[in-house]
Amino acid sequence: MNLPVKVVIQVESDRMKKAVAGVAAGVVGLAISAVGTAAPHAASAAEPVTFTVGIQNEVDSFNPFLGIEAESYEMWALMYDPLIKYSPEDMSPQPGLASDWKTSSDGLTWTFTIRDDVKWSDGKPLTSEDVAYTLNRILDGGPESATWGSYLKSINTITAPNPTTVVMKLSEPNAVLPLLPMPILPKHIWSDISEEEVKSYANEDNVVGSGPFRLVDGTAGGSIYRFEANKDYWDGAPNIDQVVFSLYKAEDPMVQALQIGDIDFAEGVSPLQLDAIEGTEGIKTVLGTSPGFDEIAFNTGSIDLDSGDLIGDPNPAVMDPEFRYALGFAIDRETIADKIYQGAGEPADTIIPPAYSTYHWSPPDDIAFSYDPERAGELLDAAGYTMGDDGSRTMPDGSPIGTLRLLARTDSQYDASLKTMTYFKEWLADIGIDSEVTAMESGKLTNVILDGEFDAFQWGWYVEPDPDSMLSYMTCGQLGSWSDSWYCNDEYDQLYNQQHSELDEATRAETVKRMQEILFRDSPYLVTIDNKYGEAYRCDRFEGFVPQPGSDGVLLFQYGVNSYLNIYPTTECGQSSDDAQSAGAATATTDDGISTATIIGVGVAVLAVVGGAGAVIAYRKSTADKRA
Amino acid sequence: MSAPTSTLVADAEIQPSRSERRGSGTWRYVGSKVLGSLGALLFVVVFNFFLFRVIPGDPVRTLARNRLVSDKQVEELTRTLGLEQPLPQQFLTYLKNTFTGEFGLSFRYRQPVGDIIIDRLWPTLLLVGTSTILAALIGVYLGMVSAWNRGKVVDNVSTGFSLTLYSMPEWWLGLVLLAVFAVGAGPIPSLFPTGGLHSTDIQDPNSFAAGLDTAWHLALPVITLTLAYLAEYSLIMRSSLLDEMGEDYITTARAKGLRDVYVRRRHATRNALLPTTTLVVLNLGFVVSGAITIETVFSIPGLGLLTTEAMDVPDYPVLQGAFLIFSAAVIFANLIANLAYSWLDPRVRT
Repeated sequence: MNLPVKVVIQVESDRMKKAVAGVAAGVVGLAISAVGTAAPHAASAAEPVTFTVGIQNEVDSFNPFLGIEAESYEMWALMYDPLIKYSPEDMSPQPGLASDWKTSSDGLTWTFTIRDDVKWSDGKPLTSEDVAYTLNRILDGGPESATWGSYLKSINTITAPNPTTVVMKLSEPNAVLPLLPMPILPKHIWSDISEEEVKSYANEDNVVGSGPFRLVDGTAGGSIYRFEANKDYWDGAPNIDQVVFSLYKAEDPMVQALQIGDIDFAEGVSPLQLDAIEGTEGIKTVLGTSPGFDEIAFNTGSIDLDSGDLIGDPNPAVMDPEFRYALGFAIDRETIADKIYQGAGEPADTIIPPAYSTYHWSPPDDIAFSYDPERAGELLDAAGYTMGDDGSRTMPDGSPIGTLRLLARTDSQYDASLKTMTYFKEWLADIGIDSEVTAMESGKLTNVILDGEFDAFQWGWYVEPDPDSMLSYMTCGQLGSWSDSWYCNDEYDQLYNQQHSELDEATRAETVKRMQEILFRDSPYLVTIDNKYGEAYRCDRFEGFVPQPGSDGVLLFQYGVNSYLNIYPTTECGQSSDDAQSAGAATATTDDGISTATIIGVGVAVLAVVGGAGAVIAYRKSTADKRA
Repeated sequence: MSAPTSTLVADAEIQPSRSERRGSGTWRYVGSKVLGSLGALLFVVVFNFFLFRVIPGDPVRTLARNRLVSDKQVEELTRTLGLEQPLPQQFLTYLKNTFTGEFGLSFRYRQPVGDIIIDRLWPTLLLVGTSTILAALIGVYLGMVSAWNRGKVVDNVSTGFSLTLYSMPEWWLGLVLLAVFAVGAGPIPSLFPTGGLHSTDIQDPNSFAAGLDTAWHLALPVITLTLAYLAEYSLIMRSSLLDEMGEDYITTARAKGLRDVYVRRRHATRNALLPTTTLVVLNLGFVVSGAITIETVFSIPGLGLLTTEAMDVPDYPVLQGAFLIFSAAVIFANLIANLAYSWLDPRVRT
């Protein structure tokens, strides 16, 4: 396979004249070095089993107190353990470092029992001291609290009365507990790092952790991150020896790398690319549920927080809940999911995604949204927004509604934003409402939202396993801060406080559902779709992934590391763990004929040659004309 | 970024020195150029600070997005990033830091900006530097061959070829080469990696094997950029050589009975190289700012990518540091071009 390469290049270089020969020699040198190293995936049985994941964004910090990128959270999860684990089904709490936990009847004391068989990678035992130390460091404020502080809301003290017990004292009940996602760090390492030093502490060399993998190579902002399995992991050793993350800054090359077997898993693949590689032998594609939604949000009344006066001139129509609710029937969510998101979205209606089944509320059929412009019209008529003579609807007082200002984001990763708003504009026109779409970069949009100079915009949220944070963004307390719809409803706020301190899950779920119903009726957000996330992997090399949430969930980048712990090397798609072991699990790649990408590539190359020839002919003709 | 370039180049053409003694004239010329460059650099230092604070986006908000964050945490983050100070105070801190060689901590990576930039500098230098030099060498040669064979098949093929490549978007050319030579197409096997600078199984980044591995990874992107840059040099070389060949002194040289090869090489080519030299030196100044699209397609962690991504935050310290280096490189290249020009072409000095 490699021999013809050298020949081709040498024939080429023979043809070249002396002056270029030096350059050509360089190229040949590169090519030969290529030949020398071009066999990276002919693994023998003795070689470690390496699971290679293609990712599209850098780790911003290996220090859990600093990073914010999803990639960083994934690496911390490999290196450290959180206090509890999240179930694959619905991310409910499961025993982790804490094997058990109890709440006092008033909900003000939480007692966690810490496992006594966990060891740090330097051999020292992990005790309740480490847990209390890590959490107290966040509780004490400073840079550590910037990332994790809000999880410890209303916790007063965290103590470790004995090596297997952690006690938390609260000022008021906190229903978010025991879901504490922060990684537990070793006290004997981190107590040497001052609050000032932690601001720039990289945590990249000789990292001491308790997790199923250990960082052996990688720096923040780098391109390759290598992890080695912790064969003594307390929850069972992984079936693989290494996990390597390889950075691709563009999607096409990443998918191509998966096709030729340079990587085993591609993270974040667009539906178009998934379609293109669907059916390729040895590759499985997944469009997994990811707990998050996109929405069209309205300006429900932007005010100056000091004076309470309206700012930004929101259109009075969008400040009316009945008007907003009516527009819910003007949106064709199926079209949005199919045409705009190409399947990477599912029509949705509330801010707590169905993946969180305990807390999700589904609107009953008689009030649920469907694409029904006639019903939208009837509702608008009933609310007084009747059709004027010119075919445009008017305000109840007969004055024109005017043009609604719809805003969209232009950032390349959110190309669905502008498309959604463009469709929305047309749907509004269908029911007699005039609007215009302005697109801007998300940083600028944030400022415009805070200034209230909009009527509606498109954005989305990622929703954490506990609904508290998502619900809080819609409270009055978040005006001018994280609220982007300027929504404020006293009844809703009261329910929010109620659910925050409610410890009985069933009662809390009732309250949370009631809150979603209020939001649905008031419609500060018209939720359009729940997000789906594309992934693809070499099923002829690894199987055994554990999706989360539920069987439709994503395979990696979850809450927890279940997939990394459970995958096993295989030689055949769908092979069970036992079969894979008996087959010896030798991995070798085969080139699977001609792929779509190569056909496109060849087509394009032909085009280029034809184009070049065309240019030559055109040039000849023009020079011929000149000469003539 | 390109604005200072044109003005400085234009300077080279004017500013005739009216001094009596030649030697002091040269020094005055050099001195004025060096001082001008320092002035430009100083302007960039000041300008940089305000430029990035004017662009939209709030780093604190970006860094706290999509998370459960209380107002207190936002305050804490603001303080950690040093953004709670009034702007004049921040500016003074920035000036002091810059002049003591400190660029501060990156907002995104929380590492010293100097370290981050140096980490990202060498892939960019390797990629764009190699491509620029290769393109210049091959381009100049192609341009000479074209000019000598004006209107013949060689000329038409070479000009058509380089124009076609020039009109292709770099990233697109990169994707095509990637699809054909990295994935493999038909009889062509997979020859090159799909991206990055290293194979994932290279353990020691300083070993000889790792060097070869990096060369292998850089082959496709370097070929792409070289092809894309080629036309710039070949066309300029071709046209300036054609210009020279129409000059009277060439006719004179021919009339003296000199051999054609000699006339071309010693008379025409030397003079025709002047504009190309300027172009090469100026372009070398732009090498550090990288090739964003190619760095993206081939996943090369270079300065171009670092800067575009810093823009999203916006990561002020990284942007300030990177743009200072970009500007310094361009200003320095301009200075060199000015001085080289005056040395190569004495007409500029007098």
